Amino acid sequence: MDPLTWTGALAPLNLALLAAVAVLTLAILANIIVSIVAPDTGPISVNPDGTIAAATGPGAMIKTVMRWSFFATVLIVLAYIVLGIVMGTGAGIVGAISQKMVPVWIGMILIFAVSITQKRKLGLYGKLFDSTIGMIGFGLVLFWVLVGIMAGVFDMLMTHDPLSQVSGMKNKLPGTPMRSPEEGEFAWYLLGGDNLARDVYSRLLKGAWIVVQIAPLATLFAFMVGITLGLPAGYYGGKFDTILSFVANLILAFPVILLFYLLVTPEIVATGIPNYMAAVLFVFPVIFFAVLLNSRFYTQPSVRTPLLVVVLGGLTWAYLSLISTDGAIVAAATYTVPGLPQALDWIQMPPEILVVFVSVVFVNSPTVFRIVRGLALDIKTRDYVAAAQTRGEGPWYIMLWEILPNARGPLIVDFCLRIGYTTILLGTLGFFGLGLESESPDWGTTINAGRRLLSLYPHAALVPALALMMLVLGLNLLADGLREESLRD
Amino acid sequence: MAKDNYDGPILEIDKLSISFFTRLREIPAVMDFSVTVQPGEAVGLVGESGCGKSTVALGVMQDLGKNGRIVGGSIKFKGRDLGQMSMEELRDIRGSEIAMIYQEPMASLNPAMKIGKQLMEVPMIHAGMSEKDAYDRALQVVTDVKLPDPKRILNSFPHQLSGGQQQRIVIAMALMSEPSLLILDEPTTALDVTVEAAVVELVKDLGKKYGTSMLFISHNLGLVLETCDRICVMYSGEAVERGSIETVFNNMQHPYTQALFRSIPLPGADKNARPLVAIPGNFPLPHERPNGCNFGPRCDYFEAGRCDQGFIPMEPVPGNDRHQSRCLKFKEIDWNAPLTVGEQKEKAPVGDVVLKMDNLKKYYEVAANALFGGGATKVVKANETLSFEARESETLAIVGESGCGKSTFAKVLMGLETATEGDILLGNKQIQDTPIEERDTQTVADVQMVFQNPFDTLNPSMTVGRQIVRALEIFKVGNNEKERWNRMLELLDLVKLPREFANRMPRQLSGGQKQRVGIARAFAGDAKIVVADEPVSALDVSVQAAVTDLLMEIQREHKTTLLFISHDLSIVRYLSDRVMVMYLGHVVELGDTEQVFSPPYHPYTEALLSAVPIADTSVEKQHIVLEGDIPSAMNPPPGCPFQTRCRWKSEVAGGLCEKEVPPVRRLAEGHQIKCHLSDEILSKMDPVIKIAAE
Repeated sequence: MDPLTWTGALAPLNLALLAAVAVLTLAILANIIVSIVAPDTGPISVNPDGTIAAATGPGAMIKTVMRWSFFATVLIVLAYIVLGIVMGTGAGIVGAISQKMVPVWIGMILIFAVSITQKRKLGLYGKLFDSTIGMIGFGLVLFWVLVGIMAGVFDMLMTHDPLSQVSGMKNKLPGTPMRSPEEGEFAWYLLGGDNLARDVYSRLLKGAWIVVQIAPLATLFAFMVGITLGLPAGYYGGKFDTILSFVANLILAFPVILLFYLLVTPEIVATGIPNYMAAVLFVFPVIFFAVLLNSRFYTQPSVRTPLLVVVLGGLTWAYLSLISTDGAIVAAATYTVPGLPQALDWIQMPPEILVVFVSVVFVNSPTVFRIVRGLALDIKTRDYVAAAQTRGEGPWYIMLWEILPNARGPLIVDFCLRIGYTTILLGTLGFFGLGLESESPDWGTTINAGRRLLSLYPHAALVPALALMMLVLGLNLLADGLREESLRD
Repeated sequence: MAKDNYDGPILEIDKLSISFFTRLREIPAVMDFSVTVQPGEAVGLVGESGCGKSTVALGVMQDLGKNGRIVGGSIKFKGRDLGQMSMEELRDIRGSEIAMIYQEPMASLNPAMKIGKQLMEVPMIHAGMSEKDAYDRALQVVTDVKLPDPKRILNSFPHQLSGGQQQRIVIAMALMSEPSLLILDEPTTALDVTVEAAVVELVKDLGKKYGTSMLFISHNLGLVLETCDRICVMYSGEAVERGSIETVFNNMQHPYTQALFRSIPLPGADKNARPLVAIPGNFPLPHERPNGCNFGPRCDYFEAGRCDQGFIPMEPVPGNDRHQSRCLKFKEIDWNAPLTVGEQKEKAPVGDVVLKMDNLKKYYEVAANALFGGGATKVVKANETLSFEARESETLAIVGESGCGKSTFAKVLMGLETATEGDILLGNKQIQDTPIEERDTQTVADVQMVFQNPFDTLNPSMTVGRQIVRALEIFKVGNNEKERWNRMLELLDLVKLPREFANRMPRQLSGGQKQRVGIARAFAGDAKIVVADEPVSALDVSVQAAVTDLLMEIQREHKTTLLFISHDLSIVRYLSDRVMVMYLGHVVELGDTEQVFSPPYHPYTEALLSAVPIADTSVEKQHIVLEGDIPSAMNPPPGCPFQTRCRWKSEVAGGLCEKEVPPVRRLAEGHQIKCHLSDEILSKMDPVIKIAAE
């Protein structure tokens, strides 16, 4: 069998794409230059009916060119995808990947269609679809989320087992056919093989799941910690605030990488420090929800009690299973702190992932703390907070139901940005070989593994690096779109 | 076209139309607007918020932003069309021939630049003056705006000055290049009344001295009466009436102007016999304006088929030079017809004492260094020996300027702070030392508050209904969700809001509607005492009347005690039974409304009364302008708190005012003042406000 080229039978399209991108780049440059010197429109005249008309100036003309070349680029990219679905390997590597990704395309189209038709009912999320930037960002993120879920949970999309090594495929270039494919097996390594002769493409997809799973969850935990501590610090102020802010500054001032190295050093792990930290950091969501519900419903004990029992019961159980492994919360050399028995432990978190989680939450929460504290300081001066005080509301009701919902705009934006940072942080951790095991297909570890042969076979490191860039770019654009839209209205 | 020898009108705006263009539609902000400003003339532009008065000012400055365009008419400045000028020509004119003064003084000054430098910049840029000359000129102008110690002021940063001083600097900056036209956009709204009076006085004097023409934008009719020669009333983007102050105030020819005057309290109006008449309905949104007359749907004289057809032009009123009205029917309306008084309402009799304060004191200790708590602590005396009683269904007004301690007093009463000394008796329960967390539900529900800023009083992310239901939950009203929801709907009825509003978000409501929801929330637990902290001062005039009337009506029905905090003496006089005047934490005067508003006065009350602008040409006011600013509560003057600004100080022998805090004196039954002045001098005082015989 022949090796696949990148675009196969679609090669003529490459020229068109190149042309479109070139025009777009030129138009963008020209637009920047022209917007400095010339106005947008020519002279403006007013029609008798009160409308105004403007003659087309050079600026407007360049804008038109920009818009059309952008559309052309998008259209050609779409053509690659659509034709790829039809032609499969006939359209080269791009076609093959596009065909493999059909479930992702269907998912994206469905989600976009539903969201756009219902956007007026969906609040801030719906408003996202008014902004092009936001939609592009959301599309990029959604792509990786769907890939992660489909590949990681359902084992779809992939062509080979991400861990199995195939002889003769070591460091092979993208599109290399397999020497002796078995019956029904996909005959190519679409994005080549790595230095252990594993399929880079399949590892990329599998690795997406780890990234898509850990980054948002770790960020969520960091937010829980930051919010639970930041709100009272801002609301009460005084000594409490001074001490907490000082501690936050201390953590922020400590070199992050050194902190990570310390946390994963076997000697330190053996003392159980990461487990203690996990026990402390992960308890915050439980506290958060307990206070949230109690402050809201304490006036109606008949609602409050069952609600709290159910929610807190579930959360406590999840908390205990999260922090205990093999029936112990801390298993140091000399002693153990007993935790949930194995039979009840439904979250099996490998100890190294726990360490990654703890370190990411630990370094992110001080920043969140400061943002929340600042917002609380501002919002607590509003009259509706005073109104709540004068009707005798408790401080936690005021913080969680009067202040927090009105701080949501900046927090949501920061959440998106922070997932991006966390993703990069995870990549960095993987790159230093910290935390996750070396077999793990996550992007950081893969880049680290491919780094050694970068000058000879760059594809093994480049592919996950580009994927990481794409996801983080998507998250940043999403955050931009959300910020832009939340400022309107 | 030289700067000096032009003697036509300074500013001619002719049939000006300004629109803003959004993605959805064109929004006309100003339509068919004409006004002429002669040299040395001051023209007032009056209207409610959103009527386009600020847009006119921005149009004159040719600073409409990216979306705004002049779509018709012309603006001529000294005969030259501003719309035809290039950016360079406009830059020359702005700041040098046309100067603008904005509402918020701090926002107009660069906080990182010394005052002197900012002032000197103006002539150095526009007239190419040398630095030395510019400094001399700055010194001269700062002296002109009556700031003490001009050299020190020039060498200080904006934040080192008080609000009143900052506004004077902004005025000085506008005058630096001796402009021919000064545009003042609500220049005193952010200032206290006594400071406002002084600034207005200054603007008037300077106008005369420099011969500057002025375009004075305000929502306050009284202020316009005091400062301007001519007035132009705007409604929903159009000028509706235009003329000299006397003709418009005494002989109005447009229903909107009339309605506006009927909705503001004038001296002598009685709250039960002549209630304020609110303008019905709401201000139309710019893209929802009706056909024909914009004011039609809210007008008493509306005639279907006539007023709602086509364009209505501005027509001259016969017999009056330069007086015009935009009304089809102004010749038919009997403008002198007496106001048809609706049903007369009896005030509920004043009952027993429900709230008693005795010698209440509240001191704050402020540490000099917040971080480490070290250093000397300073004591701020926010409230000093406060004693009064409030009875059932009585309105007690608490009057004073910012920093007088009225908010602290409210906080102590509500339980957000505890008293340093003294007693508060609610019924017969002592509550001065009980913070709100320890108060029982009934006590909390009994004392509630209505807040000042309607845009801030409701939580923006909770529906209106939910917020009221939450108050009901807290006050333990109703046994289940359904009962509370029904009670909430009744409360909406009480404040005359449609029941559909329960599911609306606060951002969908207008300012007045939000304030009503705030009132409904305060009455959720059948409050006995409601503290209303300037509940209407942030609302438009026509809405103020409606909200005030609503408060009075609820008071009549529920026999509520209303503690009405305000600085607006006209509205206080209209609705309160008794008045308490505060200055720097002291109660300087307390008595029945009649007693406080007629001599003998406390000197501070006298100045306050004189400072309030009154929109009535038949009122003659004594002119008292207070010098200086309110002293800081951190560092109050020795002796009488008011002695630094008192004009009667010289009448007390032996400098007593500077040595001792005056004792409380009883002048008549229920009337007390805190002053050293002897009875003879007090009895010689003239009334500040006199209504001239018609």
